[in-house]
Amino acid sequence: MKDIEHLVRVAVIFLTAIAFFLVARAMIKPPDYGKLGRYRAGALDDIKALPVKYAGQASCAGCHKAQAKEKAGSSHRGMACESCHGALAAHAAAPKGPKPSKPSEAEMRRFCLRCHEASVSRPAKFPTVDDSKHNPDVACSMCHKPHAPKL
Amino acid sequence: MHDAVVVALRETLGKVTGFIYPNELELQWSILIVLYPYLTGLVAGAFILASLERVFNVKVLKPTYRLSLLTALAFLVIAPLPLQVHLGHPERSFNILFTPNPTSAMAMFGFVYLWYLMAVLLLEIWLDYRKDIVGWADSDPSWLKRLIYKVMTLGVFKPTAKSFEIDDKVGRALTVIGLPSAILLHGYVGFIFGSIKANPWWSTPLMPIIFLFSAMASGIAGVLLLYMFLCWARDVEIEMPCLDTVAKYFLTAVIIAFSLEMLETVQKAYEAEEHFDILQLLIEGKLYLSLIVVQVWLGSLMPILLVGLTQLFELPDKVRKVFYAVSGSLSLVGIFAMRWNVVVGGQFFSKSLMGFTTYKLELAGREGLFSAFVISILPLVVLGVLLWLLPPWEKKPAKA
Repeated sequence: MKDIEHLVRVAVIFLTAIAFFLVARAMIKPPDYGKLGRYRAGALDDIKALPVKYAGQASCAGCHKAQAKEKAGSSHRGMACESCHGALAAHAAAPKGPKPSKPSEAEMRRFCLRCHEASVSRPAKFPTVDDSKHNPDVACSMCHKPHAPKL
Repeated sequence: MHDAVVVALRETLGKVTGFIYPNELELQWSILIVLYPYLTGLVAGAFILASLERVFNVKVLKPTYRLSLLTALAFLVIAPLPLQVHLGHPERSFNILFTPNPTSAMAMFGFVYLWYLMAVLLLEIWLDYRKDIVGWADSDPSWLKRLIYKVMTLGVFKPTAKSFEIDDKVGRALTVIGLPSAILLHGYVGFIFGSIKANPWWSTPLMPIIFLFSAMASGIAGVLLLYMFLCWARDVEIEMPCLDTVAKYFLTAVIIAFSLEMLETVQKAYEAEEHFDILQLLIEGKLYLSLIVVQVWLGSLMPILLVGLTQLFELPDKVRKVFYAVSGSLSLVGIFAMRWNVVVGGQFFSKSLMGFTTYKLELAGREGLFSAFVISILPLVVLGVLLWLLPPWEKKPAKA
C-alpha cells in the first residue's frame, strides 16, 4: 500500500474533481435543458412573455385608410408601414398616445439607399441609383412620395 | 446605418473582386483561429517527440525528454486562449462540458482537451518529476519553491524505491495512451476543417493527417530550437547525438508533411473539378507569397535541403547547428503560413466560385495582430515559469 500511496492520493484528487464537476453541473445546468432540444425549454416561454412591439399591417390600415390605399397600388405595397414608421404596437393600442415617426429629410437618403443603392447583388429590374450621381444631397421625398414612389 | 460602418463597408467593398455573396464579405475566422491549430500542433509535436524517448526507447533523446513534455504543457495551457478571445465570453466555455453535444466535433473539444491535459500530460510530468520533487521539497533554498514542491508531493515525503519503479511503469503506460491522445488532439483539429464539406479548399479526408505531420514538424522544430537556446543560455555544451537525432525526426516529419500537402494539391489539380479554377487563382494570386514562397520554398524545401545536406555529408558541428537552427526557424514560420493558408485562404474565395473577398488584419483590437502576438508569446512565458519550477536538467547545487 505504501508503494502506491501517492497514486491513491492522485486518484482521490481526480475523483473529488469529477464529483465537484458533477455537483456543479447539477447546480448550473437548467433543469429543463434538453427537453426539446439543445437549449433551455423555458427560454420559449421567456420569449413569448416579451411585450409585442409591432402592430402589423392590418392594424394600421384600419384607421389610416387613405395611406393604406395609396400604398396598396404602388411598388411599396409589400413593405410594412412599420418598416419606415417604427414599431407601433403602443400606438395601435392607444392612438392618442405615442405618435408614429418617420425618417427626417436629413436621414432620408441613407434610409432609402439601404434598399435602393446600386449593387450587383440586387436583381437587375430592381430600381437602384448611384448615390453620388442621382441628385446628391437632395431628400428623396422631394420627388418620390414614399407611399407611391413611382414618378 | 452607422456612418463608420458605411465607410468601412465602402473601403472593404473596394478590395473585393468578382462576385461574392453578402455574407462572405467579412472573414469570420481571424488570425486567432490561425493561431489555434498552430499552438495545438506544437503541443502534439512536442509530445510525440517525448514519446519517442519513452515508448520507443530512443535513449539518445533523453536530454530533450522533459523539455518536450514541459513545452507541450506550456503550449497546451494557452491553446484554448485564442478560441476564447475570438468567441468572447470565456465564462461560458464551461457549458461545452456541462451540456455536452456528442454530434458536434467542435463541442467535444472540451473533453479531448481536458483528457489530454489532466489524464495524460499533467500526470505524466508529475510522475516523471516525483523523485526530484520529493528531494527539492527538502533541499531547495527558496521557501516558496519548497512550499510548492511540498504541495506537489501530495504529502508523500518518504517514497519507497518500489514506488518509483511503479511510477516508471505507470508513466510508460500513460505515454502509450498519450500518443494516440496527442494524435487525436491534433487530428481532431484537422478533422474540423477536413469535414467542412461546403469548402473545397478544406474538405478532404487527408486534412487530419496533413495537420498531424505538420504538427510533428513544428513541435519537433520548436523543441529543437528551445533545446539549442537553453543550452546556449545556460552555457552548456549541446549534446550533438541528441540534436542530430531530433533533426532526423524533424526531417522525416517535414518530408512526410510536405509530400502529403503536395499529393493533395496535385490530386486536386488532376481531378480539376469545377472549383479548381478558383483555387488555382487563389494559389497564384492572394496566397502566392504565403503558400508558394513561405510555406513551400522557405518552410518546407529549404529545411529539407539544409537538414538533408547534414544527412548526406559529414559537416562540422558548428555548421550542423546553424543548419538546424535555420531550418527549425524556417519551418516554424512555414507551418504558421500553412495554418494561415488553410484558415484564411479557405475563406478568401466565394461559395459562388466566382469571386474573392479580402481580409484586413487589424493591428490593435481583440482579434488584431497585437493580440495574436501576445497569445503567441504567452506559452513561452508559461514555459519560463515551468522551467523555473521544474528544471529539466540537473539543478546546480545551492551555494553555501
